[in-house]
Amino acid sequence: MRRSWKAQKVLDLLGERVNRHVAASLLACVHCGMCTESCHYVLTNPDDPTYAPAYKGDILRKLFKRHYDWTGRVLPFWVGARSVFTDEELEEIKDTVFGKCTNCRRCSLNCPMGVDFATANRLARGLLVSVGIMPEGVAVVSKDQWEIGNQMGVLKEDYLETLEWLSDELEAEMGDKDARIPVDKEDCEVVYAINPREVKYDPRTISDAAKIFYVARENWTMPSEGWDMTNFGLFSGDDELGAAIVRRLFEQVIRLRGKRLVVSECGHGYRSTVCEGPNWARMKVPFIMESSVVTMLRYIKEGRIKVDPSRNKEPVTYHDSCNNARSCGMFEEPRELLRLVCTDFREMYPNRAENFCCTGGGGAMSMAEYTPRRLKSARIKADQLKATGAKWVVTSCHNCVDGLTDVIRHYKLGMKVTQIVNLVANAIVVEKKIAVVVPEVAKVLPLKGKKILVIDDEEDAVVFLKTVLEDNGAEVLVAYDGDKGLELLKSSKVDLVTLDLSMPGKDGGVVFEAIRSDEQTRHTKVLVITGRPELRRLIYDKDVTPPEGYLNKPVDEETLIRNCRKILEIEAKEG
Amino acid sequence: MSPLLHFVEHPLQEFALAFMGTVYVFRLVWFFRRFKKPIELQPPTGSRNTGRTLGVVYSLGIIALPWHMESYRKKPWMYVQFALFHLGIATCITLSFLIPYAPSALESVSVVRFIQALCVIAGVIGVYRFLRRVTDKTMRAISAPDDYFSIVLLSLWLFLGAIVAPNTEDLHDILVVYFVVTAFFLVYVPFSKISHYLYYPIARFYLGRTMGHRGVFPIPSHWPTVGEAKR
Repeated sequence: MRRSWKAQKVLDLLGERVNRHVAASLLACVHCGMCTESCHYVLTNPDDPTYAPAYKGDILRKLFKRHYDWTGRVLPFWVGARSVFTDEELEEIKDTVFGKCTNCRRCSLNCPMGVDFATANRLARGLLVSVGIMPEGVAVVSKDQWEIGNQMGVLKEDYLETLEWLSDELEAEMGDKDARIPVDKEDCEVVYAINPREVKYDPRTISDAAKIFYVARENWTMPSEGWDMTNFGLFSGDDELGAAIVRRLFEQVIRLRGKRLVVSECGHGYRSTVCEGPNWARMKVPFIMESSVVTMLRYIKEGRIKVDPSRNKEPVTYHDSCNNARSCGMFEEPRELLRLVCTDFREMYPNRAENFCCTGGGGAMSMAEYTPRRLKSARIKADQLKATGAKWVVTSCHNCVDGLTDVIRHYKLGMKVTQIVNLVANAIVVEKKIAVVVPEVAKVLPLKGKKILVIDDEEDAVVFLKTVLEDNGAEVLVAYDGDKGLELLKSSKVDLVTLDLSMPGKDGGVVFEAIRSDEQTRHTKVLVITGRPELRRLIYDKDVTPPEGYLNKPVDEETLIRNCRKILEIEAKEG
Repeated sequence: MSPLLHFVEHPLQEFALAFMGTVYVFRLVWFFRRFKKPIELQPPTGSRNTGRTLGVVYSLGIIALPWHMESYRKKPWMYVQFALFHLGIATCITLSFLIPYAPSALESVSVVRFIQALCVIAGVIGVYRFLRRVTDKTMRAISAPDDYFSIVLLSLWLFLGAIVAPNTEDLHDILVVYFVVTAFFLVYVPFSKISHYLYYPIARFYLGRTMGHRGVFPIPSHWPTVGEAKR
């Protein structure tokens, strides 16, 4: 049978990329089945053997045996070796390595032979990515990270603008004109790098971190370039992307002569930057690297910040991110910190190296086609969360925040997700705050006087958006399809349109193009809110002015309001 | 001793052993020349009470710490049968050396009974493992012919070991069969999954080195997640 070019390339690269660790893993697996029940996919799909880690690992092992091990070359049938010939077969492999595994490494730690399935799975992903076979969401995010330098396509001006208005807010809150976020300051003790999700959806984590640095009197800065510490190369298995991204960040720290690189709370970002980054980039970094969790804990221990745990009274539990814990050994610091800033910390079982994945790891949140599978497999996580009885789930990972939020919503657990930085900032005691006399004023609704049109075909999404926007003072119009939306837009003077992309009839791309093409509506501000990030091409590939904002579902209330305010250019003080 | 029995106990065994050793040397040379070392430039993370060396020691020794692995904590029977099965195999291997080179060791009835008991227990576990592989849907999905054949071969060999342990003259024919099977076993092993013992220390070494350096290994036994979860 004639082999396709892609299949041949995958086999060639397999020989180049397999190192001793992976080769030994592939040769040592005895198919004992002990890994099976350590996988959350298996626990929720017990009748489907294709979810078993050994079965998934066998995909790579079969190719390896067939082409690189004598036994498989001579007697392929006998040792279960097989080759790959067509692009369709590669697509089937994609479905497993991307859609049935989050690379959480739980099975690796439960294998008596020490078979590192997760590393082998990542290698398999990388082989497919090398020939352009990957879920569309992975392609979109990887492209953004290659081209724009961060995985959410945040432009430099948007990033700097966000830091600017966050600085304004911090200055107002602290009553000190020096309470600002320093950018590109040289010779600092700390260079702080973040996840672009913080700029786009969760700027509060940046302002909370800035508040902590300010109160600790830290000499710190944020780089204007190369500030993304996340790395989609970890998820896609693309070491070259991994190296390019991490080098950008390392070069910024070196350029600014920073002594310590502090990465904000992000599991895969921490692992990519601190653990895998130097290996991908082939460099030994000349500065200290640490998680902001360690930094915050150090500040408290050194007496640089004081905290009042009574400000966080609701019961909290902690979810160990797989990358932070199982792959980088960060187990105790978050717990120590939580016990200092909360009054009711409850352990989740199992925990630490044995915790279950949030089920959104390994890039799963960007692969919309596997969402039903992901949410089904999340039942084990939902049960685990529910058993804690906590109101808040705390995690040191942005990916886990999104994954857990989805799980909580899907299984109606009634919990909220937050990060340690938010709790520390809430508990922080500002001793020398400058007293600014502010006259008591009635609560101002941040979107008061604004008319917003919601175009979305999902009932749940419409109810959520309408409720939140109206609660914040906006007048809301609703359209369940594109035609109705365009009709309402022309008949009413609207300040902002929130637009879904995946809709029956006219999709969001067509509606968006119609809005931008019509003289009457072309200047209307548009905020795209979609659960399918891979459809971004529907708007960004069009030769029209891009939308003013973009959010991924699920979106929380605070993120939505912040983004609406930002787009509508409503000053912080007004709200 | 008949010439046939002498042949299968000595020249045949020695040839088979030499063959196995030679193949293993080739396999190891191939492995270390063919595959590059993993790059390890990352700074240490996690607990500072550990490191690469301790991680490797823990990783290799974890096989004796079943309570450190959730998979064995949930199914302690699997660990018990794993231990007994491998103990039986080690005993049967020892037996294959005792009979030709130190037959006096088998003059003690209690020694013979002990060897027989271990071989039978391991053989029964082998049968159980085979049945599990045949009847369990997941096990079937991950099994190749070699997986079935290896367990059948080992079980047969263990039962033969139990029979020939007394090493008496009336067992001549069955001793010949035992040593022929042993020789086949030695020649077959390097090409089968049974040779996992050659690679698993390497897999565990690299996993342990990385996990030790990153502060994951050793997993402290005082963690509430290890053993009974205290709620």
